[in-house]
Amino acid sequence: MAKSDSKELGSESMGQEADVTTIPVLEEVRNHGKVWEELAAQYGVTNPDPPWKVTMDATCDILAADSNVVPHAQVVPGSCALPLLERRIEEDDLSTTIYADVPFPERQLLALAHSMIRHGLINEEELARQMEEVGRRLKSV
Amino acid sequence: MSTKSHHDRNHHASIATGIGDPQCFKGKAGKPKFKEGDSVRVKDLPDLFYTRCQVYPRGAVGTVTKLVYESPAAEDEAWDNSENPEWFYSVAFKQKDLWPEYSDAFPNDTLETEFCERWLEKP
Amino acid sequence: MSEHDHKPAPMVDEVSDFEILEMAVRELAIEKGLFSAEDHRIWTEYVHTLGPTPAARLVAKAWLDPEYKKLAVADGVAASKAVGVDWVNSPPTKFGTPSDYCNLRVLEDTPTLKHVVVCTLCSCYPRPILGQSPEWYRTPNYRRRLVRWPRQVLSEFGLQLPPEVQIRVADSNQKTRYMVLPVRPAGTEGWTEDQLTEIVTRDCLIGVAVPKPGVTSNIKLPVHKAVHPVQHGHDH
Repeated sequence: MAKSDSKELGSESMGQEADVTTIPVLEEVRNHGKVWEELAAQYGVTNPDPPWKVTMDATCDILAADSNVVPHAQVVPGSCALPLLERRIEEDDLSTTIYADVPFPERQLLALAHSMIRHGLINEEELARQMEEVGRRLKSV
Repeated sequence: MSTKSHHDRNHHASIATGIGDPQCFKGKAGKPKFKEGDSVRVKDLPDLFYTRCQVYPRGAVGTVTKLVYESPAAEDEAWDNSENPEWFYSVAFKQKDLWPEYSDAFPNDTLETEFCERWLEKP
Repeated sequence: MSEHDHKPAPMVDEVSDFEILEMAVRELAIEKGLFSAEDHRIWTEYVHTLGPTPAARLVAKAWLDPEYKKLAVADGVAASKAVGVDWVNSPPTKFGTPSDYCNLRVLEDTPTLKHVVVCTLCSCYPRPILGQSPEWYRTPNYRRRLVRWPRQVLSEFGLQLPPEVQIRVADSNQKTRYMVLPVRPAGTEGWTEDQLTEIVTRDCLIGVAVPKPGVTSNIKLPVHKAVHPVQHGHDH
């Protein structure tokens, strides 16, 4: 419901579509990553959301800063790293195209990473490197 | 077959109500084997069915910081056996004694956790 | 088995690529200075917490009254009564066993000793005085790594401790539940109990953060208001 609201709002106020070409490092995650639905069923966990959802939401919010509350037209360009509305419109576009078959909230996460790369906040190489680093840390025994 | 369960599911609640658990076992464990400040080693007992003793402190030597309460061991309580309460001890370890590779830059870091008497011995 | 509380809840015992991606994206953003690890932690904490917990008031009282502090450290269950929590007579469930054990230990930090709480075997948490545990407290990531690499995990929460401060991890494996009594921060001289209560946020009580003047659990962050209809519009 709110999804179509923001979409309409977006096409009026923004007038541009997200770049929906695939990004190899994210394709790897989407093709090989196990989604929460599957993991929860496998381990008998009833929590509807993966534990990382809260931290991902915080990342989206903190990157959006003031644009969380200020109407989009009044957001000063450059005042936040990734304006709320831009990220949401891109997420909607990506959710109906390249990440259409990925369930929520995994597709929000892919879309967030996608937008951050397209907006030049991070690049593919460093994301791949950081993922390797984090994977090593989390899997260390 | 009777439809009434022969297992009294509320037994534990009824002895703890108004008193609290582990408070309801106070005075039932007899004389404690260790006292505050004693060095103790965590035994590596078999744990076929149920235990609350972690694997990582087994074999390590630590210091008793506090006699915390008396209670049946989790190993017994899991099977509804509350006949033999024991003393529980809070024991502090140097991190280095738990994890040999723990950084030497932080020799004072410690970890504290609890054991019932059956898991502890004089080092 | 009669011990509901003792039976470990099922957990997802593997690391997924999505979990790794979330953390990698966040850490790169931190590395690039888009926000700090601590800002992120505060934001995450805010999302879960509505106002100060009774445990926060216990801490504020202990800071103001040395006699009460002694009681809190000696007998957490007795001290809880002064902040409206009766561990013994009002357990959350009345069926079977009381679902929360009644042995609260209040771990007192000093300028050279910092406590942090975990439950490696499941996710035991002092619910009567602190409410439900946060998501991250229940993850294998936190439970497994905190006991072994506490400084690494604390720095992921934005808390860097100098080497002269001893870290003491409390692993809540039996019937004791723990909360941390942090050091009263500078800059709070002359504050009232209410003012002090506000800065003792949930994460300070678990031990992954330290209280600071100006950082409160009632902080007005922009996430709360206008964002709602848009943010939660993902469900179909």
